[in-house]
Amino acid sequence: MATNIAKIACAVAFAAGVAAPVTAVAKSSTVTAIEERGTLLCSGHNGSYFGFVEVNDKNEWKGLDIDMCRALTTAILGDPDKAQIVPLSWAQRFPALQSGDVDVIIKATGWTMGRDTEVGLQFSLPYFFGGTQFMAHGDLGITEAKELDGGTICVEAGTTIERLAGNYLKTLGIEHTMVSYEKASELRAAYLANRCDAFAAWGPFLAVLRATELEKPDAHIILSDQLSNEPIAAAMRQGDEEFVDMVNWMIAALLIAEEEGVTSANVEEMASNPPNPKIARLLGVDPGMGERLGIRDTWAKEMIAATGNFGEIYDRNLGKGSPYKLERGLNNLWSHGGVLYAPILD
Amino acid sequence: MDAAALKLRRSRRDMLVQALLVVFVVLVIWVAISTAHTNLTELNMTSGFGFLERATGWSYSFSLIDRSIDDSYSRTLLIGFLNTLFLGLICIVLSTILGFAIGTARDARQLGLNALATVYIQLFRNLPLILQLVFWYAVLIHMPGPRQAFTMGEVAFLSNRGLMLPGFNVSPTVVLAMFAVIALLAVVIFRQKSLQPVQKLLLWLVSGSGAMLLLAWIFAPADSSIFSIPAQQGLRFRGGIGVPIELVAMILAITLYGSAYIAEVVRGGLNEVPSGLTEAGKALGLSSRAIWFHVKMPMALRTIMPPLGNQWIFIMKATTLGVAIGFSDLFYIVSTSITQSGQTLELMGLLMLSFLLINYSLAQLVNFMNARLALKGH
Repeated sequence: MATNIAKIACAVAFAAGVAAPVTAVAKSSTVTAIEERGTLLCSGHNGSYFGFVEVNDKNEWKGLDIDMCRALTTAILGDPDKAQIVPLSWAQRFPALQSGDVDVIIKATGWTMGRDTEVGLQFSLPYFFGGTQFMAHGDLGITEAKELDGGTICVEAGTTIERLAGNYLKTLGIEHTMVSYEKASELRAAYLANRCDAFAAWGPFLAVLRATELEKPDAHIILSDQLSNEPIAAAMRQGDEEFVDMVNWMIAALLIAEEEGVTSANVEEMASNPPNPKIARLLGVDPGMGERLGIRDTWAKEMIAATGNFGEIYDRNLGKGSPYKLERGLNNLWSHGGVLYAPILD
Repeated sequence: MDAAALKLRRSRRDMLVQALLVVFVVLVIWVAISTAHTNLTELNMTSGFGFLERATGWSYSFSLIDRSIDDSYSRTLLIGFLNTLFLGLICIVLSTILGFAIGTARDARQLGLNALATVYIQLFRNLPLILQLVFWYAVLIHMPGPRQAFTMGEVAFLSNRGLMLPGFNVSPTVVLAMFAVIALLAVVIFRQKSLQPVQKLLLWLVSGSGAMLLLAWIFAPADSSIFSIPAQQGLRFRGGIGVPIELVAMILAITLYGSAYIAEVVRGGLNEVPSGLTEAGKALGLSSRAIWFHVKMPMALRTIMPPLGNQWIFIMKATTLGVAIGFSDLFYIVSTSITQSGQTLELMGLLMLSFLLINYSLAQLVNFMNARLALKGH
């Protein structure tokens, strides 16, 4: 509907002879809607998904995904505080996006074929990689999934994990019972009460849980099996390519900034005296960065000043600066042994 | 204008109003469907029921028949439907029995019994069902694990994984046949006019267990016993009947809540019975049990039946809370299917249709019972 209204509005504007500034690119209807609303609606969680989407009792949100959302909000609206976080369960996220309750899903969402085609989503560049793993109670004395025969596995309902774990255990020929829960808190309580022998979840999430949340980290063992390596990306409604471009270049800019050593601390200094043409383009000193997307030329500069580059976001939420102390591993830049890379900024 | 012409005009006017109403409703439905279709096409979302044939690729906590991750969506939804029906019927039967007992206690003259029943009703009726459900589930999953399970004579076990009961060593089809035979026996025995209710019950229990044993003996594999006893093996129990803890929690919470409501309905019905009737019974020298069976209850049932039907329908709808504790009822299966397949509207439609079907049938059953109970000439 929104796209229709925008089309009609455009047509009316032209018919009325309003001189619209002629730009090389069509403006994204989603971005127009966000600018009119003055806030960007982002996916939160029904509770805390530690390290990625966390909420405290004052309804303040933080985490890697929340920071990505704040970065996008800064890029479009110039102010990270204009991000509005909408609490959603895993199962609600796609219907909420399709009905326009949120503008974008940035919430540990894996890129799958079904979602990309049938569900009518469009995915951005992957900005995080994590595999599905099992965590089991230490007193079972097991180290791999093969030994889970006859066990009960807990998972979150409506996730890719549910399918991956089922598929993997079936391939191993292991008899098991799968109990899936709607809420992460229910799942944790069930696992801790020993309702299940093992807990299938996303590796980074399990590591975070084991490091901080559980009373005795040694009482739990993360099994050696790596079920998948899931590319995590932002998801948008299909049919607005310009918005997909916007989100892609938001992620790319955060990665390029890290590559070039542009941080929230030195961004002003780099902008006043760019060390190389690429940085000059990135920070909008050379025009083009914003014009091509239909927004301000300095969006990336403002974004990096507000949230820092990708490395800073990672360290603050999952790495050295967080209670979780997760190694970057795969989520490092390609030049540091990881798999993250940015498309070329020309 | 004579009366006949006026009548004709009025009937025509009524017809026109009705026709307009029908046209309006059809129009609204058509607009809704076509709008949804246009919007879905615009969002590039696939619509239609083709997905029902596809394998789901995910598993869930409970099923009455064999399940696997290769099941199609249609089979998975059918399993959800059966689970809802199964849980709903169990809760309806248990809540009704318990509700009648407590409602009678509430009507009793003994102060202690009456006070106990009152406390029970106020407690379970005034706390939200979801709260009670989550509470019972938390209590149940904090019981010892399968390796330290409570045992009853080494044949039944209770742990935080569920309740393991000894069962017959036969296939689910034979179990269904057993239930059918028991139901048939009940119909035959309870229609006998010459027996007392207690005699009927005893006769039914004895003949029912006899029939079950006979069937089990016929259909059990030749080289094994007719009973299957659960035994601890590795991470689980093998053999017997496993009732998962989620199902136990659902039955417990819904039955306690539903029976408190039904008890109030029963008490209301018993209060309605004119005191003259009970006094007449006493004057004839009937025992208080006979008065309850032959005077009070038959009269009270006419008042009880319609609100009782509503309670049954409510209990059926209460099964949808399974999603809170991971019990795979129909609503749970539908909501997971929505996320995994993205077919929101179709699945919601199926969910609504299923509940309409179940609750409409229940309402019809209640109406039928009402008609059977109606007093001649009243």
